[in-house]
Amino acid sequence: MSTKDSTDRLELLQGTLDLLILQTLARASLHGHAIAQAIERHSEDVLRVGHGSLYPALQRLLKQGLIAAEDGVSENNRAARFYRLTPQGRKKLFVETSKWRRLSAAIVRILAPLPGGN
Amino acid sequence: MFWWRRRDQRLSAEIQDHIEFETQQNISAGATPEEARYQALRKFGSVTLAREQSREIWGWLWLDRLGQDLRYAARGFGRNPSFTAVALLSLLLGIGASTALFSVVYGVLIEPYPYAKPNEIWAPAVAGLKESVQGWHPYPRREFVKIQKLPAFAAVMATGVEEARLSGGDYAETFRGILLSGSAFNFIGVAPLLGRTIQPFDIQPGGQPQPVVVLSYNFWQQRFNGDTDALGKTLVLNDVPRTIIGVMPPRFGWYTSDSFWLPMPMDLADESPVNVILRLRPGVTPQAAEQQLQALNMRLAAARPHNFPETGFRTVLLNYMDITAASGDMTRSLRLLFAAVGFLLLIACVNVANLQLARTTTRTREIAVRLSIGAGRGRLIRQLLTESLLLSLAGGALGVLFAFGAVQVIALLMPQNYVPNEARITINSYVLLFSLAVSVLTGILFGLAPALRCSRPNLVETLKDGGRGSGGGVRGQGIRSGLVVAEVALSVILLAGASLAIRSFAGILGINPGFQPQHVLRVRVPLPRKLYPSLQQRNDFAAKLLERVQHLPGVESAAIGNGGIPFGGPESSYSIEGELQAEDKQVIASLVSADYLRTLGTPLKRGRTLTPSEVLHGDHFALINETAAKLWPVGVDPIGKRINVNLLKAPAGSSALAPAGSTPAVTVVGVIADTRNDGLRDATLPGVFLPYTLLAPAERTLAVRTYGEPGALLNAVRLEVHNLDKDVPIGRAMTLEEVYGSEIAQPRFNMALFSCFAALGLALAAVGVYSVISYDVTQRMHEIGVRLALGANRADVVALVFRIVARVVALGLILGLCGSAVLDRVIRLQVFAAPFDWSSAAGVITVLCITTIIAALLPARRAARLDPVTALRHEA
Repeated sequence: MSTKDSTDRLELLQGTLDLLILQTLARASLHGHAIAQAIERHSEDVLRVGHGSLYPALQRLLKQGLIAAEDGVSENNRAARFYRLTPQGRKKLFVETSKWRRLSAAIVRILAPLPGGN
Repeated sequence: MFWWRRRDQRLSAEIQDHIEFETQQNISAGATPEEARYQALRKFGSVTLAREQSREIWGWLWLDRLGQDLRYAARGFGRNPSFTAVALLSLLLGIGASTALFSVVYGVLIEPYPYAKPNEIWAPAVAGLKESVQGWHPYPRREFVKIQKLPAFAAVMATGVEEARLSGGDYAETFRGILLSGSAFNFIGVAPLLGRTIQPFDIQPGGQPQPVVVLSYNFWQQRFNGDTDALGKTLVLNDVPRTIIGVMPPRFGWYTSDSFWLPMPMDLADESPVNVILRLRPGVTPQAAEQQLQALNMRLAAARPHNFPETGFRTVLLNYMDITAASGDMTRSLRLLFAAVGFLLLIACVNVANLQLARTTTRTREIAVRLSIGAGRGRLIRQLLTESLLLSLAGGALGVLFAFGAVQVIALLMPQNYVPNEARITINSYVLLFSLAVSVLTGILFGLAPALRCSRPNLVETLKDGGRGSGGGVRGQGIRSGLVVAEVALSVILLAGASLAIRSFAGILGINPGFQPQHVLRVRVPLPRKLYPSLQQRNDFAAKLLERVQHLPGVESAAIGNGGIPFGGPESSYSIEGELQAEDKQVIASLVSADYLRTLGTPLKRGRTLTPSEVLHGDHFALINETAAKLWPVGVDPIGKRINVNLLKAPAGSSALAPAGSTPAVTVVGVIADTRNDGLRDATLPGVFLPYTLLAPAERTLAVRTYGEPGALLNAVRLEVHNLDKDVPIGRAMTLEEVYGSEIAQPRFNMALFSCFAALGLALAAVGVYSVISYDVTQRMHEIGVRLALGANRADVVALVFRIVARVVALGLILGLCGSAVLDRVIRLQVFAAPFDWSSAAGVITVLCITTIIAALLPARRAARLDPVTALRHEA
């Protein structure tokens, strides 16, 4: 497939975005705009393609059963859809974060300066 | 609104809100509204893209892939038309036959009635303490009124039958009018097609009914051509003009589907029984209701002991669905046939699985290539299953078309008397749902195994195989042989069932009924009781009618009487003079005229027959049948002996009239051959034949033996009756062949369907055998070539092929015969008269062997004609 490379890159990006959404929702239930703002505070880069890319990601997580949506009222008294983490989502987040920790620890070890180097 | 459209709209709203939030934020930060909105939109990026991507996640991708798979599958089938045709044909037959049979099961057993909640209708039955429940218990109206007052019941209704003579036309005619209590139509819960139904106010407080009538759809169509003007017109029934107040829809058939319903007179002195049915009050269990009814029955029995068993009884509530749905015979044979059609479906599945396996075996290389360039296994299995489902759904669709035709044929074969007249056999939405489910299930059933197998080939081996496409190899062939063995075994079981059904039917045909049913017309002649109140008048009418009919051109002989004309007759207790009275034993007492034996074609065995003058004068002479002759001790000749037939005393309450001071004793003058008098299939009961003048019910039956077509005489007979008395109608007319035919209809139905299923199963199995053998021959082309080149002759090659066939078929045959023997133990008790024995097995083996030889002939011929040179060059 000719589009394979671009898909891969997109997938990488999606994976990170998904993880960030889960991480954000681990603290509180939020509506779409609030999630976007929270993520923006942490990582401008991931949402560089625009807030719009948040919504397909939310649909994907809903479909996987990692998050759930319910109607609620926002802080300025408007009806909005709130997203929260499901138990599976919490588990997934835990698994993914520990995976990430192991990976980064390994990278840190590899990249650690050699004793007596320089 | 569709849920997916709602989902889409919700997403759009959410995105709008998002942008709105952002805009507000920007305004708070000091931007102008336009600026704020522009910034928000820019930050969000493409709204369309966000929606598109979300939609993709929702599942359009899935649909897209399905489309791809379907296109691919369809192309594959198109390239392989013979495979596709055989597979579709198998599925068509399997699914079609089961759909057709399911529609019968649905119409007759599952949903036979249009009535409101028919499974909540109960009928009371009374049985002796040690006896099993026979039928429901009828009550006189007085008792019905008492039952209505019991607290256990939410609703109670009564049904009775009244011969209703319709006058005012060219000829008087009788109908079986159905009397209904005022509560009945609300109880049954079916709305009328036109007008209104009978309501409680149609029966006055004194019990007098209003002169109204509700017509059945058929009656309305026949008499009024379906004209809505019929409402408000009058029908003269039993000399009472009645107003037509309503017409019921076609499927409403409470006790009749071609006459009418009348409000029931609530004459509490009327002892004639009515059928009572009930609905329980919510929360009342059938057991509690039974107790209340039992208590009432005990009080009733104290007042009128003869209505109840003498030595104590229990009261049972029977569910209406159990007692009146298809009769036991029909229920049992439908269940059995449904199982048989399941076998047929299984054979079809195995057959298609076999074909699929053969096809995927040759596709192994294609699949190996796809796997090796990175196709996921799951995706591949899905692709293969999609193919199977496409095939089975197409087969199912064709099967439903097939079922539309098959249902018509089955409905024609159905024995009418065994099925409720409300039952409708159609391909309805439930049936379609059933066939859809069956199609999907079969698709998975026959598709899963091949899909799993060939998605895991040994890539290296297969690719190395150099495109010979024999990657499935020995193991694949082993599975395929196993499938054919299963197919053969299943069809052997079907054949065994068919052989039993055929033998049962042949057995019934072989029963000598004791009379000759050809060329005999049977007509009922009901005399209006008011016009013919005395014995003399009734007998005079019968004698005159008989005299006239005997002299009609084309009439060989004629007889009149009651009972004695197949099948059945009134039972009577009896005692033989000089012998101890047999306890509880009954004889069938038939009232006959002089020409009875000649008219029915029953031979006289000993003694003499009754003379016309004996019959006319009502002399106390009688004929007995051979079974009755055995009531006398061995060595005693019953001729000249006397027997008391208690029926002749005309029991109180019966409408039959007897001469004043009639004695029950009659002298036996002759013994006649046994005729079946308790239905065709049951043993003959002892029968006594008496001059009809000794007892005069209001209705007589006339039997006419003709030289030509008996139905052609019906109008002549009708005219004679009309000429004698224009107010006397004629009742139901049938030829004895029709009577006989209705007795053999159930076994014939079993036989026809079973044979048909077995033949289809056999044909499918033959296709299976053929496909496996011919594939095997192709695989062995090289080997056969070598053999031929080394000097084997054609006969050897043919023998080789047949050895392969024999192995598969013998195994299937043994399994099938064992299975049949086991199943036979279950089935025989229920449906078939004949056991599964060696002669049945021999028949099955013969049919199977002939079929498989035919199936193997083509591949064998191909093998024998093989040119060794070509074969050796053939790389497979």
